[in-house]
Amino acid sequence: MVGLSLGEKHFIQGGIAQDLRSDGRKRLTYRPIYVETGVIPQANGSARVRMGGTNVIATVKAELGRPSQLQPDKGKVSIHIDCSSTAEPVFEGRGHEELSTELSVSLQRSLLGGKSGSGAGIDLSSLVVVEGKICWDLYIDGLVVCSDGNLLDALGAAIKAALSNTGIPRVQVASSASGDEDQPEVDISDEEFLQFDTSGVPVIVTLTKVGKHYIADATAEEESQMSSAVSISVNRKGHICGLTKRGGAGLDPSIILDMISVAKHVSEKLMNKLDSEIAAAEASEDES
Amino acid sequence: MEFVSPEGLRLDGRRPTEMRQIRAELGAVAKADGSAVFEMGNTKVVAAVYGPREVQNRSQQLSDQALVRCEYSMANFSTGDRMRKPKGDRRSTEISLVIRQTMEACIMTHLMPRSQIDIFVQVLQADGGTRSACINAATLALADAGIPMHDLVTSCSAGYLNSTPLLDLNYVEDSARGPDVTVGILPKLDKVTLLQRISCRLCMTDTTGEYKGIRISTRWINYNEG
Repeated sequence: MVGLSLGEKHFIQGGIAQDLRSDGRKRLTYRPIYVETGVIPQANGSARVRMGGTNVIATVKAELGRPSQLQPDKGKVSIHIDCSSTAEPVFEGRGHEELSTELSVSLQRSLLGGKSGSGAGIDLSSLVVVEGKICWDLYIDGLVVCSDGNLLDALGAAIKAALSNTGIPRVQVASSASGDEDQPEVDISDEEFLQFDTSGVPVIVTLTKVGKHYIADATAEEESQMSSAVSISVNRKGHICGLTKRGGAGLDPSIILDMISVAKHVSEKLMNKLDSEIAAAEASEDES
Repeated sequence: MEFVSPEGLRLDGRRPTEMRQIRAELGAVAKADGSAVFEMGNTKVVAAVYGPREVQNRSQQLSDQALVRCEYSMANFSTGDRMRKPKGDRRSTEISLVIRQTMEACIMTHLMPRSQIDIFVQVLQADGGTRSACINAATLALADAGIPMHDLVTSCSAGYLNSTPLLDLNYVEDSARGPDVTVGILPKLDKVTLLQRISCRLCMTDTTGEYKGIRISTRWINYNEG
């Protein structure tokens, strides 16, 4: 991991206390975000997001499946994150599993809503083809190519961009009078694609507490000095969709409330910035 | 299935000895000591090099040369059908070994005793020829890291389908299960460092034909990257 000397640690902590971090940012400023869409042509949708040294790829693959018995009117979405060993030599072999699982679970909590599927960023009922019989299963795969802190926010942004890049083929159900047990036959169009409404997909803002203050978009060096971090996912309406706390140190409840209101404010800027980047990426993809 | 049309063109419109479009980019992984992205058509791999640095596991330390390690992994989304495979299955272990041996041969390991060099290769998209794409990416990443090498290894695959030697097979041609060969060459020293033949039924004249094609292509790679 990051090896810092005592002097460097003091420099980082002192900078944060004085609202001037080592790369010249203020406490709540994000690094510039770059979005590229359509990077993996084999997937239904994909995006690469870069924030400083952090570089992640998210892809969406859609497969036809069967809805679960409990929710016959909803499709299924799963999120799986992998940390490539190119990002950090410690991820070699099974070394990445702990972090990969932590990130996958946090993203599922932030983006997929509760067990019933309510409150999910994606409208799950739009994934149903024939109620109780056929639905789309969305597999969201994330890959961390290079890690320089704040992976969760970057992955959240990449998934949002990948979802808005996703086209689901239009499905025609053959109207043959089949028995109740049979799966109806379907005809998958390879020309017509449906786009998702991704306006409900939240963005994730992680506030990392270093010393007495908390910062947004921490780098790997700053993360090594953190006492705890709170990840808050906020949607466009300003509603909190998910909340995760990491790190061992306890937080005063009033600080958490304060963090939530700050995150809500920061997320507005982040959401607008991300939307314009996604629109620009889609435009440049169409041109080429 | 017909892989070469009567006009002498392949499924993707290439001539039998034509390579796919290649593209290389250095420094894609900011935190690594050296890194590269290498694309051959739709095949896309990222390689990152960490080192030379202190040996992590003391028992593996070599007193007269550097320890070279390599890990090959495929992203879940790299193939057409989504797959969930754990790291370290037999195929990736074998490819890791091949890459390690190939790179070890061209790194001047005697200059860096008691140190370790890690090469990590990640396949983002697989469309045939991942083995050679990984070797090319690893070479570029090592060069980007400034690690002393005898020469840059270049690699390419070739196969034999419909009585025609074909250069740089894509996924469809690769899954036709014809004989194929992956070659790694040190072009300046004019030596072969890697030669892997899969499947049989290949007479010597065909092999030399393929080999010639590969030599031309590797020169071409070097010319383009230089």
